[in-house]
Amino acid sequence: MALINVANREIQCKIVYYGTGFCGKTTNLHYIYGHAPARAHGAMRSIATENERTLFFDFLPIDLGTVHGFRVQFALYTVPGQVLYERTRVAVLNGVDGVVFVADSSPEKLEENFQNLIELETNMRRMGKDLGSFPFVMQWNKRDLPNAVPVATLDRYLNRRHVPAFPACATTGEGVFATLRAICKAVMAVL
Amino acid sequence: MEQLTNLVVAEGELTNIARTLGRLALDTNAGHTLLLDKSGQLISAQGSGPQRDLIALGALLAGAFSSSRQVAEILGERDFRAIYQQGAYESIYTLMIGEQWLLVVVFDKQTHVGLVKVLARKASEELERILQRVRQGSAQAREQVVSVQFRDSVSNTIDLLFQD
Repeated sequence: MALINVANREIQCKIVYYGTGFCGKTTNLHYIYGHAPARAHGAMRSIATENERTLFFDFLPIDLGTVHGFRVQFALYTVPGQVLYERTRVAVLNGVDGVVFVADSSPEKLEENFQNLIELETNMRRMGKDLGSFPFVMQWNKRDLPNAVPVATLDRYLNRRHVPAFPACATTGEGVFATLRAICKAVMAVL
Repeated sequence: MEQLTNLVVAEGELTNIARTLGRLALDTNAGHTLLLDKSGQLISAQGSGPQRDLIALGALLAGAFSSSRQVAEILGERDFRAIYQQGAYESIYTLMIGEQWLLVVVFDKQTHVGLVKVLARKASEELERILQRVRQGSAQAREQVVSVQFRDSVSNTIDLLFQD
């Protein structure tokens, strides 16, 4: 839920990166942290296991600075992707203003992407939100894989709503900022 | 796209919130009293405790609270409305207000948790009344802030900051 604090002249919105385990959600945030201007972000916090798998969430505050007298901030979160953390994903989605679905382009992950997307739709519906009328974009990550599923196929199976979708390679940064720009603008459009 | 739910906290109400939090901090000798939105956004903070990253603290506490509600669901418990995190020197008491806000009290070992619970409950009743008023005035206050020009300027800033 976007918060507009008139007295402090601040606007705060929450964006969640959703997707299967190892699809590159945390890598997206790491890239943003490493390549966005230093004044535009705070410290990144990760609650991860010893082998760096996300246990609860990653958190990266983004600060656009002052626009028309208001300080505009986006809080970026990732969810843990592994199947056993379904309830944790519900907890992180609480109060979300915009969702990025990061899909893994590996052929063997297509079905898992699909199941994960259905789970996202169900979780949003439980919160009384319909993805069809909600700030929502998709990212086709790992486009650098030699056997990556064609974009047209991903689009056909995963993007039935025809929301904006961005080919990406989060490790090199390709498509990362395009995705971020799109979701931030989608959130602002309905503020 | 469908209208997002948003909450607009007007100036006068923020003063009321700050006053309630300030009194709670004073009466419990708390280092920090915070009011968070359930999504983890910080609405107001009071107290004379050490400088801390309250933005990150808010996100983590809201995450922990949200997680505990999922635990309640699995147990078949109707709700967990409060969490107490006990440390050697500092402890945290988090209490849900309505279905929207979290009241957080960060206090040290000199204050008894029983006192914190009682006074936090009292403050939460006051904050709940404020929240009701904030909700009612939200739509009108929003119109004063968010305009087409504002959205355009934010959009330009996003393009400027996040370039490939």
